[in-house]
Amino acid sequence: MATAAASLRYFPSSLRKRSPGDASGGLVKLSHRRALSAARVAAPSREAEPVASLGDLTRVEFPILHQEFDGAKLVYFDNGATSQKPNIVMKTLDEYYRSYNSNVHRGIHVLSAKATEAYEGARTKVANFVNAADSREIVFTRNATEAINLVAYSWGLSNLKQGDEIVLTVAEHHSAIVPWQFVSQKTGATLKYVGLTKEEVPDIEQFKGLLSNKTKIVVVHHVSNVLGSMLPIEDIVTWSNRVGAKVLVDACQSVPHMPVDVQKLGADFLVASSHKMCGPTGVGFLHGKLDILSSMEPFLGGGEMIADVFQDKSTYAEPPSRFEAGTPAIGEAIGLGAAIDYLSQIGMQKIHEYEKELATYLYESLISVPNVRIYGPAPCKTDHRAPLCSFNVENVHPTDIAEILDLQHGVAIRSGHHCAQILHRTLGINASARASLHFYNTKEEVDVFVHALKSSIDFLTSEL
Amino acid sequence: MDVSSLAAALPSLVAPTMNLKPRLAFPLHPFSARGGGAHPRGSVAVGCAHSNVPPPLRRAADEEDQGEDADPRLRLHRLAEEFRAVPEAGRARRLLAYAAALPRLGDADRVAANRVMGCVAQVWLVGRCDGAGRMRFAADSDSELSRGYCACLISALDGAHPDEVLDVDPADLAPLGVAAGTRSRASTWHNVLVGMQKRARAAIAVREGRSPAGSFPSLVIGRDGTVRAQGSYAEAQVSSPPLQFCLFSFRCLD
Repeated sequence: MATAAASLRYFPSSLRKRSPGDASGGLVKLSHRRALSAARVAAPSREAEPVASLGDLTRVEFPILHQEFDGAKLVYFDNGATSQKPNIVMKTLDEYYRSYNSNVHRGIHVLSAKATEAYEGARTKVANFVNAADSREIVFTRNATEAINLVAYSWGLSNLKQGDEIVLTVAEHHSAIVPWQFVSQKTGATLKYVGLTKEEVPDIEQFKGLLSNKTKIVVVHHVSNVLGSMLPIEDIVTWSNRVGAKVLVDACQSVPHMPVDVQKLGADFLVASSHKMCGPTGVGFLHGKLDILSSMEPFLGGGEMIADVFQDKSTYAEPPSRFEAGTPAIGEAIGLGAAIDYLSQIGMQKIHEYEKELATYLYESLISVPNVRIYGPAPCKTDHRAPLCSFNVENVHPTDIAEILDLQHGVAIRSGHHCAQILHRTLGINASARASLHFYNTKEEVDVFVHALKSSIDFLTSEL
Repeated sequence: MDVSSLAAALPSLVAPTMNLKPRLAFPLHPFSARGGGAHPRGSVAVGCAHSNVPPPLRRAADEEDQGEDADPRLRLHRLAEEFRAVPEAGRARRLLAYAAALPRLGDADRVAANRVMGCVAQVWLVGRCDGAGRMRFAADSDSELSRGYCACLISALDGAHPDEVLDVDPADLAPLGVAAGTRSRASTWHNVLVGMQKRARAAIAVREGRSPAGSFPSLVIGRDGTVRAQGSYAEAQVSSPPLQFCLFSFRCLD
């Protein structure tokens, strides 16, 4: 799409003038119109061009997407597992290590001051991105899994005891379940699971019924990485607070795809991973309300998280430092900040709108393939369906499908239990295939995927 | 011979009698041309359209194979050469043909005790030492491609001596990758091989009068001498007779 490429020259440069954290997307629309008029000027004799989609416009910034395997262009549909990174993130990482890498917080010299400023600047960017009240409410961790473990060990072990209940859903990711199993074994608290309705979403009525004054914490996903459905977090927080229970939200599949406002959601804890939101691996964050974080015991012990160290005891720093022992992933956190700048300049609402279109297109295209069964609610039955579909094809193993799609068509999807074995057992299956999209994917890629899927199914069933 | 009913009738560790010459009723399918060249992306039509019915997988257990031909490493090497001779687009089809010819295990064998851990698909493996001191293997999976991998490994290792099974290096599997370079599905090959080697090790131990189980990190041995399997994988292993023998001998030491 030459005109799209030409128009993109205007698109990214206008992005860099934007201030970070601005999620309105208003200026982006202006540059989009400029891009379109540039396109028309470039080719005045043509008919009105089809409008370049967000996917068309942004994918130029993601070099990894432009490769081929055996003559087939890569179609990357495994974003639920990890997202790709735009040039600016890689440039930021490179620049960090090339010009100002230095340990943070304690140094006196100019490099250390610069690194500290950039690192703490990244913390502020994360705080603004999720509308936290205070940047001290953002704790950098290795990823969302570590963030959940932090809450489990640091809050859970001190606050839960025999007879207490932890409420989860059967659709939770293993990272949201297993740490609480450890806590349950150590404290005697028990885990209670909310099941699914026949629409294959967590049963909210059952959830309300499970809440009692024994419930001390509710651990739920915001958007399911298998079902694609979204939970009503604000309502869940309201109901949970009535019984005195805290709420931890696993926002790994929501923060990268839509505006998330922690003050509006009202949860006590919220976690996300950088690598799912166009940032580097090795960093993630926990958002926790400041008064709760202030009351929590440390998680890992070591340098940075102490105030004073004596032979027999130590005093601990205030949050967030209390929970950030040792040298952090400095460059990676700064890279996450650059990813947040990039996403903000597009606008999370704009990303969300585009992905809603993609989600519906993906679902409707996929369901038209014979013998395909998609899990989770249909788009017409729900307010929100993420741009992902976990599915099975009758009599064909999902791993075989994924393998043939990869080998013969260059299409990358995932097959397995997607770190949700309990959910798969609930659905009565061992494994499923999953195609998960992000804003740099396009409807054309969905068409390629569906064609390749039909071809792969033919290939695999023609032997039987 | 109806393998599945035979397998159901026998205890789970006895390998069902294998069809020595698997029947391949595999016509050249019209889709093989369509799946390739008709599609502008990727797969090559020519290889598919010209792919012949692959030769049946011969195995070390065949009576005609004596001496060196029965060495698993050589058989794997030969299999790798056969694969390399097939255009890439045809290799998956070849695996599927092998899968079609692989007898299915009966329900009695498709149990947790026989699961090969670490595979995305479910894979079951049975193995034992026969009266002539050779390892006999059978395997199955709910994934057709995995069945193809299993068929290849069984053709190479079924009927081999336990020491020969142990001699196979996972690196010997690398040339068998269905795709070129590093995109082979190493895990299924590797995990099934590891499973076969474990059973070979157990057979050697029994032959030498030792306890058949090696060191097993998932066992928890209490101070009072009780031995507890930790986790479903370990529990599945505990239920298998060689390890039960091992636990029995532990308890006897009190």
